[in-house]
Amino acid sequence: MEVILLLKQLSEADGLAGYEEPVRGVVSETWTPLVDEMRVGGLGSLIGLKRGTGPEPRPKVMLAAHMDEVGLMVSGLEKGFLHIAGVAGADPRAVLGLEVVVHAERDLPGIVATRPPHVIPSDERQKTVPWDKLFVDVGLPADQVEQLVTVGDLISIRCEMAELKNRRVAGKALDDRACVAAVTLALEKLAKVNHVWDVYAVATTQEETGLKGATTSAYGIAPDLAIALDVTFGNQPGLRDTEVFPLGEGPTIAVGPNLHPALVDHLKSVADAQEIPYHIEPVPGRSGTDAWAIQVSREGVPTALIGIPTRYMHQPVEMLAAQDVERAGRLLAAFVASLEADFLESIAWPESEESE
Amino acid sequence: MRELIRELVETYGPSGVEDEIRAVIRAEVEDLADEIRVDPLGSLVARKHGGDGGKRVVLAAHMDEIGIMVSYVDEKGFARFTRIGGVYSLNTVGDRVAFSNGTVGVVGVEQKRANATKIPTLDELYLDVGATSREDCPVAVGDSAVFVRPLDIQGTRLIAKAMDDRIGCAVLIETLRRLESTPHDLYFVFTVQEEVGLFGAGTSAYGIDPDVAIAVDVTGNGDTPESYPMAVALGKGPAVKVMDSGMIAHRAVKDVMVQRAKDAGIPYQLEVLARGTTDAMAMQVVRSGVPSGCLSIPCRYVHTPSEMVDERDVENAVCLMLEVLRADL
Repeated sequence: MEVILLLKQLSEADGLAGYEEPVRGVVSETWTPLVDEMRVGGLGSLIGLKRGTGPEPRPKVMLAAHMDEVGLMVSGLEKGFLHIAGVAGADPRAVLGLEVVVHAERDLPGIVATRPPHVIPSDERQKTVPWDKLFVDVGLPADQVEQLVTVGDLISIRCEMAELKNRRVAGKALDDRACVAAVTLALEKLAKVNHVWDVYAVATTQEETGLKGATTSAYGIAPDLAIALDVTFGNQPGLRDTEVFPLGEGPTIAVGPNLHPALVDHLKSVADAQEIPYHIEPVPGRSGTDAWAIQVSREGVPTALIGIPTRYMHQPVEMLAAQDVERAGRLLAAFVASLEADFLESIAWPESEESE
Repeated sequence: MRELIRELVETYGPSGVEDEIRAVIRAEVEDLADEIRVDPLGSLVARKHGGDGGKRVVLAAHMDEIGIMVSYVDEKGFARFTRIGGVYSLNTVGDRVAFSNGTVGVVGVEQKRANATKIPTLDELYLDVGATSREDCPVAVGDSAVFVRPLDIQGTRLIAKAMDDRIGCAVLIETLRRLESTPHDLYFVFTVQEEVGLFGAGTSAYGIDPDVAIAVDVTGNGDTPESYPMAVALGKGPAVKVMDSGMIAHRAVKDVMVQRAKDAGIPYQLEVLARGTTDAMAMQVVRSGVPSGCLSIPCRYVHTPSEMVDERDVENAVCLMLEVLRADL
C-alpha cells in the first residue's frame, strides 16, 4: 500500500492503551492478505504468522511495533464539565485546546480547555496547567452530561494527519503506528521473496503503560530472534544534536546492552548491502521500548531495535519522513530474507561454543 | 465480618515477614477450601473447585503491609530505619511501631535538624525502643516493624492500620465463606510483597496460569477537604477499577463487574486512580497475558497508621464478588 495512505489510516484510528480494538481492526484488515494465520493475544496484541520455507521446526523471528496511543479518560464530572486523566503518558501541555471525541453512551465531540489567562494568578502563569485544572467541555447541559458520560469513559483525540512538503507527515499516534506501517510494508515485500524463517508480525498493546503487550506476546510466541521498532527523537530546536536524528536520512539501528551485538552487526550489514541509509543510535541503558521487554522473555531473546526519527513525540503533531518508514520496511524484509536456517549459530556467544 | 477484620488488621505482617498473618488467614480458610498451599515466595493459595466448563479464576488480595526496617543501631541504643513500601515521614513522627517479638518503638525526630519548618526526611527520624546502649537494644539491623493501631469503629467507618490490604483479605475470606456454588475453579490468593513491587501476585499467577484475575485492594478517595478531584467516595459502593497509574483494567473484566452490580442492584463506583497500582498490574502480564481487573475498597488516608474504609463498601464488595463468581465469565 502507498505509505502515506497507510500512515494516514493508522494515525487516525483510535486505539488508546488498553482499548486498542479500533486500530487493531485496521491493522488486521491490512495484514489479512499478507499472513498465513492471525490471532489476538491475551492482552489484545495482534499476532500475524507468515510461514517460512525452511524445514520444521522452523526458527521464529518476531517483528514488534506497538499500536497503542496516549489519550485521555474521564475521571470525574462537575456541573457538566468533565475532569480528565491522562492515559499512558499523555502530556497535559499537549492536550490544551484539542478537539476530542468522548466515547460516552454515544460519541460526543468536545474540546479540552482550562481557565482563561486573565484570571490565572501570576505565580501560576509560568507553570504548566496541571491535569486537575484541565477539563473537557462537550457543550451539553449538566443533566444530559450526567446521563451520557460515565467515569472511565475514553476520550480520543480528533486529529487528521497532515501531509507536509518533502513527504513529511504530522499526526497523532505516529508513535508507534509508523512502525506498524513499516512492519506492514515488510510483510508486503516478503510476499514476493523467499524466506526460511517463520515471521511473527506483532502489533503490540499497552507499550505506553509498561511494555505489556510485548511482554506477553513474546512469552506466547517464544521467538528465537526479535526486532522491535519504535520512534526515536527527530532533530528539532531545544534538543541536543547528540540525542536526535535527522528526518529523511533513514531509520536508526540501536546499539547498547539492550540489543544483541552480533544481531546488530548483521542488521547493519543487511542495510549496507541493500544501500539503505541509517544512523547508529547509542542506547546505553534501558531502551524504553518493546525491545526491553522482549529481550528478557523466557530464557532471553537476541533482540535488535530499529528507530524512526520523529519530532514532537506524544504531541498530536508527531512528524516524520515517509521515506524513513519505507526504508525501515525494506530493511526488515531484507533482514528476514537474509536469515538462513542456521543463522542462530552465527550469532552464538563465543563462550557457549567453547562449552560444547 | 467485624471480628474477622479486627483480627486481620491487628496482626503483624510487613512485606517479607508474612508468617504470622499467613497463619491467621490460613486458619480462617483451611476448612472452606478444597486445597491449600503456600507457594515459593510465601503467598497462600486456597483453591475451591468449581463445576465443569468454568474458568480458572484468581482472586488476589495482598496480606503484607507497609512498615519500617532497622538499618542501624547507634551506641546509645537508638535505631535508624528505612521504609518497607510507601511509608512517609509526614505520617510517622510520634507513632508507635511494633516488631514481631512484641517490642514497641516510638518514632522520634532529630530536634536540631537543619530546617525545623520542613517535613523531616526519613534520615532525620529514629526509633526509640527504650534501650540505653547498642548491647541492650532489643531490635537488630534487618528487623521489621509495623504501625501499632487497634481497629476503631465509628458508625459505618472502620479505622485501623493495614486496611491496605487486609480489608481485601477480609473480602476474599468472607466471599469464600458465603460462596455456595460456582462454575469456576477459584484460587483465593493472599499475596506477599505487594507493597515492595507486586512480587507475590506475579509469581502466584504464573504458577496458577489463570484465565482471569481480579485483585481486591484499597483505592484513594476524592471526598476529603481539598483532595484531588477523584470520583470515589466512602460509602458509595466498592469501586470497579478502570485505570490506575500502573495498569488499564481489561475491558471485559471491568464490564462484567459493572454489569453484575447493575443486575443485582449493588452500588458501585468507577475508579480512575492517578497514583498507585495493585497486584492486578503484575498479574496481567503473566505468561501470554491474563485479562485482569480490580475491585477496590475506597479508603481514606492510605499508607498512614489510620486508614479508613466504610463497612457498607466492604459488604457490597463481598456481594458483588459473589455475583461475579456465580455465573459464566
